Amino acid sequence: MRLNDDVELGDGSPIIYIRSLSLIACADLHLGYEGVLAKEGVFLPKYNLSFIENEIKKAIERYKPKQILIDGDIKNEFSKVYVEEFNEFMDFMKFLNYYKVKVILVKGNHDNFIDRLKEPFGFEMYKQEHLIKNYLFFHGEELPKSKKGNFLIMGHIHPAIAIYNAITKEKLRCFLYGRFNGKEILILPALSYYAEGVEVNNLANNLNEISPIFNIIDFRELEAYCLGEDETLYFGKIKDLVF
Amino acid sequence: MILYSNKPFTKEDSLNALNPKIREWFESKYKELSPPQLFSFKLIKEEKNILITAPTGSGKTFSAFMAILSYLFDLAENNKLEDKVYCIYISPLRALNNDVYRNLSEPLNEIYSKYNIENKIRVGIRTGDTPASERQKQNAKPPHILVTTPESLAIILNTPRFIEHLKNVRYVVVDEIHELANNKRGVHLSLSLERLNDLIGHDFIRIGLGATLNPLEEAARFLVGYDEKGSERDCIIVDATWDKKMEFITISPVKDIVNETDEKIEESIYKILDSIIKSNRTTLIFTNTRSGTERVVYNLKRKYNYKDEELAAHHGSLSREVRLGVEEQLKLGKLKCVVSSTSLELGIDIGSIDNVVQIGSPKSITRAIQRIGRSGHSFNAIAKGEIIVINRDDLVECTVMLDRAKKRFLDSFNVPKNPLDVLAQHIVGMALNKKWKIDEALNVIRRAYPYHNLDKKDFISVIAYLSGMYVGLESRRVYGKIWYDEAKGEFGRRGKYTRVIYYLNLGTIPDEVSIDVYTLDKKWIGDIEEEFLERLKPGDVFVLGGKLYRFERAVGMKCFVTKAEAQTPTIPPWFSEQLPLTYELALEIGKFREEFANAVKKDLEEANKKALISMIRFNKFSIGKNAKEILDKMPINEDAKLAIFNYFIEQLLYAKEIPNDHYILIERTRDLENKRNYIIFHSLYGRRVNDALSRIFAIAFGDIFQTDVGIIINDNGFVLVFDPVVDIEDEDIKEIIDNITKVDVSRLIKENIKRTEMMKRRFRYCAARGFMILKNYKGAKISVNKQQINAQALLKTTELISEDFPIIKETYREILEDVMDLSNAKKILHNIRDKIISYKIIHTDLPSPFAHVLITFGEADIVMMKDRRKRLRELHEMVMKKIKEKIKD
Repeated sequence: MRLNDDVELGDGSPIIYIRSLSLIACADLHLGYEGVLAKEGVFLPKYNLSFIENEIKKAIERYKPKQILIDGDIKNEFSKVYVEEFNEFMDFMKFLNYYKVKVILVKGNHDNFIDRLKEPFGFEMYKQEHLIKNYLFFHGEELPKSKKGNFLIMGHIHPAIAIYNAITKEKLRCFLYGRFNGKEILILPALSYYAEGVEVNNLANNLNEISPIFNIIDFRELEAYCLGEDETLYFGKIKDLVF
Repeated sequence: MILYSNKPFTKEDSLNALNPKIREWFESKYKELSPPQLFSFKLIKEEKNILITAPTGSGKTFSAFMAILSYLFDLAENNKLEDKVYCIYISPLRALNNDVYRNLSEPLNEIYSKYNIENKIRVGIRTGDTPASERQKQNAKPPHILVTTPESLAIILNTPRFIEHLKNVRYVVVDEIHELANNKRGVHLSLSLERLNDLIGHDFIRIGLGATLNPLEEAARFLVGYDEKGSERDCIIVDATWDKKMEFITISPVKDIVNETDEKIEESIYKILDSIIKSNRTTLIFTNTRSGTERVVYNLKRKYNYKDEELAAHHGSLSREVRLGVEEQLKLGKLKCVVSSTSLELGIDIGSIDNVVQIGSPKSITRAIQRIGRSGHSFNAIAKGEIIVINRDDLVECTVMLDRAKKRFLDSFNVPKNPLDVLAQHIVGMALNKKWKIDEALNVIRRAYPYHNLDKKDFISVIAYLSGMYVGLESRRVYGKIWYDEAKGEFGRRGKYTRVIYYLNLGTIPDEVSIDVYTLDKKWIGDIEEEFLERLKPGDVFVLGGKLYRFERAVGMKCFVTKAEAQTPTIPPWFSEQLPLTYELALEIGKFREEFANAVKKDLEEANKKALISMIRFNKFSIGKNAKEILDKMPINEDAKLAIFNYFIEQLLYAKEIPNDHYILIERTRDLENKRNYIIFHSLYGRRVNDALSRIFAIAFGDIFQTDVGIIINDNGFVLVFDPVVDIEDEDIKEIIDNITKVDVSRLIKENIKRTEMMKRRFRYCAARGFMILKNYKGAKISVNKQQINAQALLKTTELISEDFPIIKETYREILEDVMDLSNAKKILHNIRDKIISYKIIHTDLPSPFAHVLITFGEADIVMMKDRRKRLRELHEMVMKKIKEKIKD
């Protein structure tokens, strides 16, 4: 669905498209998740990578972008590098190279080994933030240093909305959009198959602890765009979604 | 062949079967042989497999061991006793092992003090508590009689240095078989026994001991299994259950359990308990839950000043030291009373108990007999027991239960068949032993009774899963626990960690995720499951330990609540602390309902109009003549008679209908706050049947009306819970019933069970048992909390592989066969179709009396809407409507 003339939110997908940049963007892929868990004694079938590739493939075929930006946390672990993560990262890069899109990585808190892979795969890489024209991409665990850019895009918090009815509670992944100090901000849902999401409309969750961005913006004023199976719908402001 | 033995041998014949020294010792201690001993001494000597069921005090342990010790003494005296294990004794409880050790040491020490025998018989315990140094000693010089648990036996089978010592095993004693035959722990043991048989290359004499269970033939088959050629091994059943006299009664704590306040009922319960304790030497009180045990102890001490030396709790959550201390005090006869959940149900030697009190229904006739059978320390003593009921449904239930117990009617149990998670554990264990041919391994497994009909396809799928075939080749190094050569049809162990994985993760009892619940002033109340917490939002009211609490907030693994004054919970619990009522007993209660309702109706007809009106006005009824005739035959106190009468008459006056075993009442009503609509099915068939029926109906309603359906279930019925916007006509209900009775419900429920919460929890259990989620890996313990988060991810992806993936398949099986009773649920539906069971739909403003316990204390689940595509739109509409309302305000 269209957020504005230039930005499109994926229909049922956590990937956005920015027309003026011919760019698609996503965040929080957590590649290698299953492999890392297997090391801990949980033997998940491998699905995350193929799920992500399929989502990206659909977006590329639909928008035909020239570039893709990954807004942090492409891999899962932040303290170590596991061979499982390394392998999946290689496979993923090969997959992107096949589509001949320019790859831009904004490193997040989990992405500590990818520097040395820059050369063979030829991707651009930036630490924590990167400005393209008016759009400032940053991962979100730190406040951006740059004062430039009027449209901020971040990941990191895996936003979701919990909705209760008489019988059940449903958790929906969502985009969060809002304005502050004359700027706009868009928070991307996680692309990882496994990220259930943090319930941003549950006041018991202390969002300030997750990202310092909530020290400077009032999260209750943010608007949620929730993801369904194949569509994305506007759900209003978080403050109206507190049940 | 399984045979019953009804003819005891003579005392002389029995004693003649013993070694002279053993006989001498035995006769110096006991004047008489207990009934099972009059069978067992000789039968075991004759090398027969034997299953003995009898209540406490029947000398069960010695009925097995006297013959075994005799054999060992014969060997010792002929200098033929080697340093090998001759007998393995297995019990589900470590405490029992300590008892047996003590019980065996006594005759041995006394005989050795009298006779100088060089070749001494050694008894050794090997459980999780046994220190490594002791185990090493055993590895070097094994005991002749090895006392162990099912889990430790499975480890022994993979301890190469110990296996050598097992070659001479001649006897295997399985104690407390009633605690094993009906669950996966027992299934696990049955495979261990067949593996043992295969490892040592010969059969052994199997001796099963336990309290009563039904059918005994099934228990015997479970004990003995099948031989190499696939024929059932022989077994002789000795049933001494009824040789001990029993007296029991159901007690209603107040005259009017229907209308009396909870406080008053509670007060009265404690008063009765106090007077029972005071009038007996030692009383054993059973509650149905651990938290209940703690509450009873706390309140008895507070209200009646019992001291710590007089009254104690005993349950599985207490430390080993505390439990042993309590058992010791009991044996010494120092305690007046001990309160227990299930831990003392087993045959731990606890000295002489003269009275057993059960609080709340034990849910099965068999269990009632087992528990009451704990009292009366000798065979000649009378076992005495009371059941104090806590609510109106309990009252009717226990009344019928004890009436049927008097008539020696027992409800039945099932052995779980072909559980693939337990199988996975043993395949790993077998692979650690050696390289196997597929058919060779399958042959060993099929000798165990629960796996006799194991499908080869399922067997292969477990092998494929364990070898990591569900991930790419490059990951199998990490995922695979065994290797599997499809072409050659062989498998074996893989990787150096596999042995450690097996040692640290085997067993069948799932870890519970427990979130501690506290009041705001930090008083601990109990615990709830993580999954349940996940559903709570501030303000929700739920039941814990029989009381209502309002959820305030959660911090990590702690949950904070305040006492709630509301009458019904806004969120029913997701799991039940209660055991399910057996189907057989449920039907008996249904029959009683019909008989008694007819009597009450007759009393109403015959009653003087004027008297009746005044009775209704003042809410004071006296039992009618017809009702009294029935109640007088029941083993209940006077208050209980009146309470039952009141319960039925209120239901009759309010709803005009009393449901029974062939008449289901469908009541349409709503909750007090008018937020939810209820369709209540008064179907008294036990929770396992209602578990199945409720989900079948929820699936059907959910699909037709495109909505989520909440469910509340207990033994007496189930409730479908709807948002009031869902508009359902009586005709719709009839049509749905009509359809359901015609379709293949097994398929319906199997295809849809993944839409329920139950699936998630059960999948976690099965994944842990099947080594897909390890509790303990490479020295690191994985918290249950993390296990659970991982289990949800696991379920999400595992389902993508195939419905036949063994862990998924086992989850379905466990739900459909162990948790639910689908086959009897089907029977009910067929009977509705064939009009053997009729139903009637009624409308009430508020739930009728027969539904109150169900709605307040039932267990809940949700069947999610099927079409996820429509989900977002539906939620969107709802939210937009709410926001509009908010803005209007």
